[in-house]
Amino acid sequence: MEGFLINWITTFPNFAAPLLLACMGLIICERAGVLNLGAEGLMVVGAMFSVMIIYSGGGILLGVVGGMFAATMLSLVFGIAVVVFRADQVLSGLVVVALGTGITGIVGRAYTHKPIQGIEKFDAGALGDIPFIGRLVFEQDPLVYVTLFIVIAGWYLLMRTNWGLRLRAVGEDPATADISGVDVQGMRLVAVMISGALCGLAGVYLAVVSSQVWVEHMVAGRGWIAVALVIFARWNPIRAIFGALIFGGAESLTPRLLAIGADVPVYLMNMLPYAITLLVLLWPYIRGRAASSAPSSLGHEFLRQDRH
Amino acid sequence: MKNILVVALTLFFGMTSAGMAEFKLDGEPKIAFIFHGAADNAGWAESHNNARLKMEEALDTRIAYAENIPEETTKVRQAIDLFISRGHNIIVGTSFGYGDAFLEAAKQYPNVAFLNAAGTTNHDNLESFYARTYEGWYLAGMIAGSVTETNKLGMVAGFPLSLVNWDINGFTRGALAVNPDATNSAIFVNTWYDPVIETQTTEALLEQGVDVVATDNSTAPVVTAERYGKKSVGYQVDMAPHGPKGNLTSVLFHWEAHLIPTVQSIIDGSWEPNPYGAFVGIKEGAIGLADLSEIAPADVAAKVAVTHAAIKAGELTPFDGPVLKQNGDVVIEAGASLDDGQLWGMEYFVSGVVGTMPTGL
Repeated sequence: MEGFLINWITTFPNFAAPLLLACMGLIICERAGVLNLGAEGLMVVGAMFSVMIIYSGGGILLGVVGGMFAATMLSLVFGIAVVVFRADQVLSGLVVVALGTGITGIVGRAYTHKPIQGIEKFDAGALGDIPFIGRLVFEQDPLVYVTLFIVIAGWYLLMRTNWGLRLRAVGEDPATADISGVDVQGMRLVAVMISGALCGLAGVYLAVVSSQVWVEHMVAGRGWIAVALVIFARWNPIRAIFGALIFGGAESLTPRLLAIGADVPVYLMNMLPYAITLLVLLWPYIRGRAASSAPSSLGHEFLRQDRH
Repeated sequence: MKNILVVALTLFFGMTSAGMAEFKLDGEPKIAFIFHGAADNAGWAESHNNARLKMEEALDTRIAYAENIPEETTKVRQAIDLFISRGHNIIVGTSFGYGDAFLEAAKQYPNVAFLNAAGTTNHDNLESFYARTYEGWYLAGMIAGSVTETNKLGMVAGFPLSLVNWDINGFTRGALAVNPDATNSAIFVNTWYDPVIETQTTEALLEQGVDVVATDNSTAPVVTAERYGKKSVGYQVDMAPHGPKGNLTSVLFHWEAHLIPTVQSIIDGSWEPNPYGAFVGIKEGAIGLADLSEIAPADVAAKVAVTHAAIKAGELTPFDGPVLKQNGDVVIEAGASLDDGQLWGMEYFVSGVVGTMPTGL
């Protein structure tokens, strides 16, 4: 039983990291008032381009950076559409999903199911033998530690710096931020591109660490789970860590229980993360505090002439 | 009076044979394939695309295809109608979910021949077909059962359907035939195509001491087994490139073995679609194993060859009695074997499988 628990807990970060990365990107984007539903498309682009670069001999580091860059470029297209031309954010987000799926389907054709050198877990030797937490803490792949750093740094930037305050102001009340001298459009564009880079890195993680192969549709809805996770975390990066661990833990429990031959209510288990999200959404209403924690101006485009 | 009777009988039989609709192609044969996935997806669609290429060669013709057509009746109909409007009159579908659209189209276009892999609908001019994949899995199980050191095999599978369950059960029975101590841990991932969850499931199996992992889905379990220095069995296409050290073999489809003679009979007017669909296997050459890797011992390879010949000759089936369920219930006694109806109704695991058949919540 202890062996089972340790094995299970050790896999949490592997399941949680891609969700957490994408979620972090979306939190920054939505805190700036831009609703980004394109995570699925950005992730698939990150996954495909990283595999393409690695398979073509560019090396792992270039693959990771290249995947992030490609997704950032796609997010820039989205950003220009919704921030500069003030297109509808929901529709543009869905277009990003379609674009990402389409581009990777065509460009990724030659790289489907090609063996690549992926990123492996650290072998920490003696440190890994520390009872219970040794493997969990020390024997993860490098990107897990990068993810944790990004989320904590992101939290600090967002909540404890002037830049973060400005970004949140843009998401809460862009008109006021504008009067105070904040470049609303510039801020939103930067936030969108950060979400592109982080969603891209999430896709890279799936392709280069989790499965070490590229196939079409391999993101398989994880981008949408990240969108739900943002709501679950109520736009707070620290809560997102716990949310991702719960989602990831639930996801990794099912195959492990099945592997030991346990009778598991599979469909119920697969439904759990979504059921929990629904509960979290309802929670403020249940407690009678209907004031949502969503950024007030989320999803609204900003026009200076509309300034009140 | 006699003459009248003769005339009446002639008319009657003439009409019935007309009612049986001797199928006739309208014009020159022109073939088209409709794929659910990308034609080179290293899986189901690619196995059909390989057949398409072999058919082009054998029939000396160009065969058109459409990719990524989802299992939605309207989308499938658009693809069918487009091909027919361009003069195609032999349409090959490749998905269970195309069944309704194909039946609809078959009724609308009586002079177009329809074939659909893994479909369940049939008509005067529509024949679904599937392969006895369990025969290949039985052979693969013999190899896996003889090379395992822990006596623990594992299998990553899609959904609890009879045509998946018989892969798991066939693999298990093949292993048991050579190694009575072998077990097979089967896990349904509830998707046909998600390398991420398949990788993680494979890791969970390896943690439990499994040392040969079979995939009923994508290449991910083969890639993962290779990374951990374990052995693997592939499916649908030759997955050896993904496991150069540890891949034992792959269970392969050779759809062309069914499609070439079928299309030939459509062209020469002798096609009689089976009202229950075609169900082909090793005997017809539609199922086989990829070249065995060097790590498969020679004596096992010899045993597999003998069994392959026995299945081909109809002397042996993977489900010859006694077949026991996991809990010991007898499905069929010694001396008999499962018939096709019982195979399609296979909603249980045989003894030797570790795992629980999901029954809902």
